[in-house]
Amino acid sequence: MAFLELDGLTKSYGSLTVVKGVNLSVDQGKLVCLLGPSGCGKTTTLRLIAGFAPANGGEIRVGGKVVSSSRGTVPPEARNMSMIFQSYALWPHMTVFENVAYGLKLRRMPQSQVTELVRTILTATQLIQLADRYPGELSGGQQQRVSLARALVIKPEILLLDEPLSNLDANLREEMRFEIRRLHDEFRYTTVYVTHDQAEAMTTADIIVVMNDGRIEQSGSPEDIYERPATEFVARFIGGTNILSGTRNDKESVLCQSGLVLRCGNGTADGTTKTAVSIRHHDIELSTKPNGANTNTTIGTVTRQIYLGSHRDYLVSIAGGEMVRTVAPVNVAIPVGQEVWLHFPPEKCRALAQ
Amino acid sequence: MTSIAQVQGRRSGIDLSWPTFALLSLILSVLVLLPLFWLAFYSFRSDTGGGATLDNFIALVADPTLLRAYGLAIAMALGVGLLSCVVATPMAWLVARTDLPGRRIIRMLVTASFVTPPFLGAIAYEILAAPNSGLVNIIYRSVFRLDSSQYLVNIYTFGGLIFAIACFTFPYVFTLVANALDKVPSDLEDASSILGGKSMTTLRKVTIPLVLPAMLAGTLIAILQALTMFGSPAILALPAGFHVITTKIWSLFQFPPRLGLAAAAALPLLIITIILLRAQKSILGRKGYTVLGGKSGTPRVTELGRWKWAAILFVFSILSLTILLPYLAILKTAFTGTVGDPINLSTLTLSHWRFVLFEFSATQLALRNTFLLGFLTATAVTAIALIVSYLVTRRSVPGSRFLGVLATAPVAIPGIVLGVGLFLSYANPTFQLYGTIWILLIAFMTIELPAGYQQMSSAFSGVHPELEEAGRIMGASRLRTLWDITAPLLRTSVVAAWCFVFVGTIRELSATILLTTANTKLVSVIIYDLNESGDLGAICVLGIILLAASFAVVFVANRVPVLGGSQMNARG
Repeated sequence: MAFLELDGLTKSYGSLTVVKGVNLSVDQGKLVCLLGPSGCGKTTTLRLIAGFAPANGGEIRVGGKVVSSSRGTVPPEARNMSMIFQSYALWPHMTVFENVAYGLKLRRMPQSQVTELVRTILTATQLIQLADRYPGELSGGQQQRVSLARALVIKPEILLLDEPLSNLDANLREEMRFEIRRLHDEFRYTTVYVTHDQAEAMTTADIIVVMNDGRIEQSGSPEDIYERPATEFVARFIGGTNILSGTRNDKESVLCQSGLVLRCGNGTADGTTKTAVSIRHHDIELSTKPNGANTNTTIGTVTRQIYLGSHRDYLVSIAGGEMVRTVAPVNVAIPVGQEVWLHFPPEKCRALAQ
Repeated sequence: MTSIAQVQGRRSGIDLSWPTFALLSLILSVLVLLPLFWLAFYSFRSDTGGGATLDNFIALVADPTLLRAYGLAIAMALGVGLLSCVVATPMAWLVARTDLPGRRIIRMLVTASFVTPPFLGAIAYEILAAPNSGLVNIIYRSVFRLDSSQYLVNIYTFGGLIFAIACFTFPYVFTLVANALDKVPSDLEDASSILGGKSMTTLRKVTIPLVLPAMLAGTLIAILQALTMFGSPAILALPAGFHVITTKIWSLFQFPPRLGLAAAAALPLLIITIILLRAQKSILGRKGYTVLGGKSGTPRVTELGRWKWAAILFVFSILSLTILLPYLAILKTAFTGTVGDPINLSTLTLSHWRFVLFEFSATQLALRNTFLLGFLTATAVTAIALIVSYLVTRRSVPGSRFLGVLATAPVAIPGIVLGVGLFLSYANPTFQLYGTIWILLIAFMTIELPAGYQQMSSAFSGVHPELEEAGRIMGASRLRTLWDITAPLLRTSVVAAWCFVFVGTIRELSATILLTTANTKLVSVIIYDLNESGDLGAICVLGIILLAASFAVVFVANRVPVLGGSQMNARG
């Protein structure tokens, strides 16, 4: 049985339903990322797990015991969880040491043990020489680490992170992603991590849960989500893709609006007649001559070409007026207006039910 | 274990939030809505027969003395507003935007004049500018060797009244405009200069339009203060032989009382107040002026050059008229035998102090009542405001916004109107609160609630909710979080709010004057009574005691950071 279970979880504010029947199971020790655009309900889901808001329907269970349902809510302080907030929420009137020690003191631990545990965690997070500073005297990255230390020191059953890196600058953010993954590998707390940044999710997560409009679109390992997106939304949100919509042609191919027939190596084209094909930008082969293949190939005109140092980014207009975005090595330099051949390798084409 | 925690959690949710919400709704409704209800009820009730009638409203339109009182009050208020604006705006500009020496001290002095109770200022001007006994006129006569019928200035006139009130309302305009000027970012002015605007053009076309809302808003507040003021008109207008509306309402309470007419006469004042406050809010809330919220770059400073001395003279004369002369007059009167005595060793005396502190029977009771009520009001209002703003800003109970509206509403109820409403609500056989200090406590709580609530709710919105949530998720209960985290972060604001309410309470007169009796005299009322008997020396002693208490409290509040002090010290 999974350690943390969300079962048909629903939350509304007045007439607005922001979490619509979310089902999710997290095994002990796993790091799950809730990923989605702003307003998709991921932060609300996290706050429901923490117990800051009561649920309107469904249940949250931890270790088989119900902690939230429409009948009642265990208050946050009785859940043995801890959380890292977007604003870090360090108490400005307490030093770094006092911030970190607070949770231990609430657990009525003897002073000597508190001091020892705090010093251990401050050493692990490289904060030990800042123990007597106040949060206002620390840089953003240091505050972030204090927030991590404060959350980890109480040995929570579940660790919650709410967009923890969104207030850091780009370099520090990348560094902290690896740091969070390292600390997770070290401590193995069951963790729920909310973010809108797919690179952050890919770096840190065991399981990525893509949310949209209060529902789970897809959940799976980072490879699953990237290689085998289940819906157009997931394909677009993770990594960026071309979506060519059309109708089902036969069991293995899709007739696109441009008249192009694409054989799809994976995905499901059955079920409905309306369907779409997703192919990543870098999976399309671009050339100035026909490449000899007679399926999954079409002709188009370059409408935009940008030099990006490591590669060139092309926008190609194909029959029917559809635009296809693709990338090519730097040495493939084709001027705007020239005709090009595009090849869509069948094994990279993924049919999506609509 | 989880199931036990679950039960406790559910119980504490019901036990604390909802009963608190219900209790506060009840208290606030009683404080705010009940007096307004009785006010409306009595205005439709005949004073003679007791039946329902429109006579009171007909009298309001037909009675020339009432109409005249309203007309004079409005004219006086407009005059005060205009004078305050004309004096305060250039002064605010000089202090905020020029290299005038001593800007920081000027700001502190102007802020200090906020603390002066207006009625004390009016009395100071009686001492200075009464036609016969006024110090200015005595000096004038002795210098020019004129006979006793001659005088230079007379405060017992319509103009004198406007002047005396404006002395104590111009800080509203000054503070708003100076703060607005602090916040107009210099890049807006630089943009004008780079396009070729000379400094006077920039001032006229950019800076002044940007602070115009603050100017208008401050002027409206000054108008409102003047319109609803009781003390100064009662001291200066009655000897001059005319009534404004507040003194007229008070006179309707004299024997034989005409309560229904008083209620009907108070209602238009309430409506005018609401209109003025709405106007002020809409002026300050206009989207185009959002620059007043942000800050970018330091404001530019204009060098006065050869105008410096003229500016110093202007500011010094304003400060003399509003602060130095009144305070000196009060000090002199407190320590010399009679107002007209010259100051030398033989005239210096402590007899007024002896009289006030040991001989005059009413003083000790009044001092005790005043400070007791100040203490009780400040404590009760701060506590209520704290809980209401917690419920409102943290939205822990649906519908808590309603509490915020109730707590803000009294800002639109002038003191004298509230006094009438409370008299009608509680001076009856059911409650029998008239003649006790409890009716005064209710009045002061209602009057001071908006100020306390405003301070506390802005303090709460400065505490990020995640700071409290962090406490909860680390394992602290709601109360423990409030105690360990919220309370220390709010401590300074709570102290500030308490002091603010205390100072406001001990100087209140306009509601008090209708609700006080011989057993429940307050210092402000004693001062008013002594003025009727012409005992200025004793008044000045009492005034000094009130001011000393106020300044002591403000001083304590300023020692605590985050208060007005830091705002003032931000730039000098």
